[in-house]
Amino acid sequence: MQIPTERFSLDNGLRVVFSEDHTNAVVAVNLWYNVGSRNEAAGSTGLAHLFEHMMFQGSQNVPETQHIAHVERAGGSVNGSTWLDRTNYYETLPAHQLELALWLESDRMGFFLPALTQEKLDNQRDVVKNERRERVDNQPYGDWDERVQAMLYPPSHPYHHSVIGSMADLDAASLDDVKRFFSTYYAPDNAVLSIVGDFDAAEARRLVERYFGPIPRGPGLPPLPGAPRLEPFTVGREVRDTVEGDFALARVYLAYRIPPFGSEDFYAADVLTEVLSAGKSSRMYRDLVRDRRIARAASAFCLPIVTGAASLMVRGISPPGGDPASLEGAILEHLDAIAREGPSAAELERALTGLEARNTLELQRVSERADRLSMLTTLFDQPERINTELDRYRAVTSDDVRALAERYLHADNRVVLTYVPRAVRAVVA
Amino acid sequence: MSGADDRAQAPTPGPVRPFHFPAVERTTLGNGLEVVVAETRRFPVVTVELVVNAGGTAEDEGTAGVATLTASLLESGAGERTAEQMAETADGLGITLDSTTGWDVAQCGFTSLHARLEQGLELLADMVRRPTFPQAEVERLRVERLGTLAHRRTDPSSLATEVFSRYTYAANTPFARPVGGTSATVSALGREQVAAFHVARYAPAGNALVGAGDVGLGELAALAERFFGDWRGESLPAAVPAVTPRSEQVTVVVAHRPGAVQSEIRLGHVGVERGAPDYTHLLVMNTILGGSFSSRLNMNLRERRGYTYGVSSLWTARRQRGAFYASTAVQTEVTAHAVEEILGEIRGIREAEVSPDELRDARDYLAGVFPLTVETTAGVAARLAGLVTYGLPSEYYQNYRERILVVTADEVLQAARRRLHPDRAVIVVAGDADQVRAPLEALGIGPVEVVDPAEVLD
Repeated sequence: MQIPTERFSLDNGLRVVFSEDHTNAVVAVNLWYNVGSRNEAAGSTGLAHLFEHMMFQGSQNVPETQHIAHVERAGGSVNGSTWLDRTNYYETLPAHQLELALWLESDRMGFFLPALTQEKLDNQRDVVKNERRERVDNQPYGDWDERVQAMLYPPSHPYHHSVIGSMADLDAASLDDVKRFFSTYYAPDNAVLSIVGDFDAAEARRLVERYFGPIPRGPGLPPLPGAPRLEPFTVGREVRDTVEGDFALARVYLAYRIPPFGSEDFYAADVLTEVLSAGKSSRMYRDLVRDRRIARAASAFCLPIVTGAASLMVRGISPPGGDPASLEGAILEHLDAIAREGPSAAELERALTGLEARNTLELQRVSERADRLSMLTTLFDQPERINTELDRYRAVTSDDVRALAERYLHADNRVVLTYVPRAVRAVVA
Repeated sequence: MSGADDRAQAPTPGPVRPFHFPAVERTTLGNGLEVVVAETRRFPVVTVELVVNAGGTAEDEGTAGVATLTASLLESGAGERTAEQMAETADGLGITLDSTTGWDVAQCGFTSLHARLEQGLELLADMVRRPTFPQAEVERLRVERLGTLAHRRTDPSSLATEVFSRYTYAANTPFARPVGGTSATVSALGREQVAAFHVARYAPAGNALVGAGDVGLGELAALAERFFGDWRGESLPAAVPAVTPRSEQVTVVVAHRPGAVQSEIRLGHVGVERGAPDYTHLLVMNTILGGSFSSRLNMNLRERRGYTYGVSSLWTARRQRGAFYASTAVQTEVTAHAVEEILGEIRGIREAEVSPDELRDARDYLAGVFPLTVETTAGVAARLAGLVTYGLPSEYYQNYRERILVVTADEVLQAARRRLHPDRAVIVVAGDADQVRAPLEALGIGPVEVVDPAEVLD
């Protein structure tokens, strides 16, 4: 399956990627802005995400509450998300509504500030604080990523703090902060626009020129705050924390710094996590879940992030009454085993089969294709890699996986976070 | 180019490009198993699902949870294969087997590249026809289930939904309990109950194999004949006692979570069956009330007041009457205000016709997003499973958008008046009773009962 890609840039620096597919009368529009929580200075945590909310509050020609309403009444779905390295905005619509999406996206890229008010900011600040309560503060284990990030990356590193940010910093965000953030980061030369689906390339190009062409370039990016380079690369010691609370089941999170997304090592790490936990024939499912029953679930995954170091994480969930220390020990045995001897040929083949199958299933959606094209262009300036990423996985050898584990998955590069149920009342039969 | 002037108005849409839900073709094997196919050749991918009358309504009250446990055990060994061998086969094919259990049916299937469909179906046939239910696996998954139930008690959203069901339906209605059973019933389950449920419920006649994607009826029917053709038996939809509400009065329950910074709110009542004649009217009505981002509830509670990250409302679809409820998480201090606003919006949509703009926007939204929900083979297969489960006509989705687009404001109003009952709402708040009880009592809508979640859900 080949995904066609066509790319060009506007004079103002906006990079544009097209991928036509006329099999279904829908079109996806996706924008990646090269800004995320990594760009937040101390005292401004959560600003990138709060800003993302403000982008849905209208712009010069789009009244308050009407951005999403326009898309919904056109029969589309719309959203955005903020992460460590980037912020994305996307909508999928019936094909004949492409121009609406370009109008909406260009209006907030170029004409956002005239519609900004203190009232809108105060409202969305309340919404975001409730988002934090719902996802983090009122949710069992909801703060795991915030805690792991703070332990895995030093205070000077842009990944030290979470995307959602602290309540105090959210309270402190001012209208000037929002304006400054927009003026610094929201510009055509700091964005990628991808369009995928049932559209005519010549017509779409005319529309992109018309709506985005007049938007001026930005002032250029300031350097990332803090010290994004990690020297030395690894953590240097084991960092541990234990949280006791109203949890029904104990959990263990392990995290390691690994080379950034896009590096050869990262693909080896991704294959390693497949061997450990993809499918019920994987090592951890077979041993920890099925045979020894010391976990009810165990999963390993890598975060595809690019600033200084990515991370490889393992999550184990204990059965009722289970001992998280023995679960941690058993997970470590698996990591040590793979550092001594890489995966078998059969394991590698299953990992590749799974990756290939999932890739095909995910790419059925035009929105997924558009998001990947924006990602590959933002991070690597290579949208056509959408067709060759699997080759990078195929190139990974058993010894690559072993060497990756040996080099990075050791105690001096490890963070361990454990959640334990608070002093369980003894249940005596 | 003049820039700003050109963009003052939203652009007018281009010509509509046609969308057609794929034709639904069906045939029935000699043993009574129906094969239902929607062919789309966009990708070399197929989703198949076996839809069986083996959902929660087929359980006795004393073995509640056996349907869910049985479906989850189908992968734990079947035919000549151990659980380990089944896992290696599935992972070697790059397929993820999924087994889900609802009130009406259990579904078991996978999505695969077309090249691996045949081997996948061979595995699926083993699972549903010849599961071995090894004792060790029964025990393991029973404990896993108990762990899930224990976790749900500590998760405010799951907790609120479970307590809502408990207080919405009369005690003799299965829907009052979670579909996976309670700790008490699951603790008592064993291999014997699982095996008996499988024998009684997993059978060809009365059930269906649905397929969507890169496969035609001829090919899938031939494969079905090969792997399921000599299977025998029948299982029909279970008889369920008439669904009745627990109370005809407003019920206010606080599931006490000391120190909670938010309250999870569920507010609603017994709803309608999926086959209700006004179901389409209810969909349009709910889109305006709480079924879209631009809905009245979300505009009020989120965009105007900042009480919440989001609020929505829905009708649960079942063969018998499901539920209607609004659902949100609000900061603790505004809990009673939020309840009052939700009730106000429900009353409001019963009082007056929705505006022409609201009606048009809601219809266009539902009609427009439908193609997005059937972009993938899994999305199409889910629609086919719905046709089979609820006995809807084959052309139901061919005409779906047209039916939505002709709903009138009066039909919306009549449906709201007929089906929404704020005067007998069940209002569940999972939150800090010490902070929310007095403000809820001050609303004067009914007595406030404070319960310990652990006790009410056992």
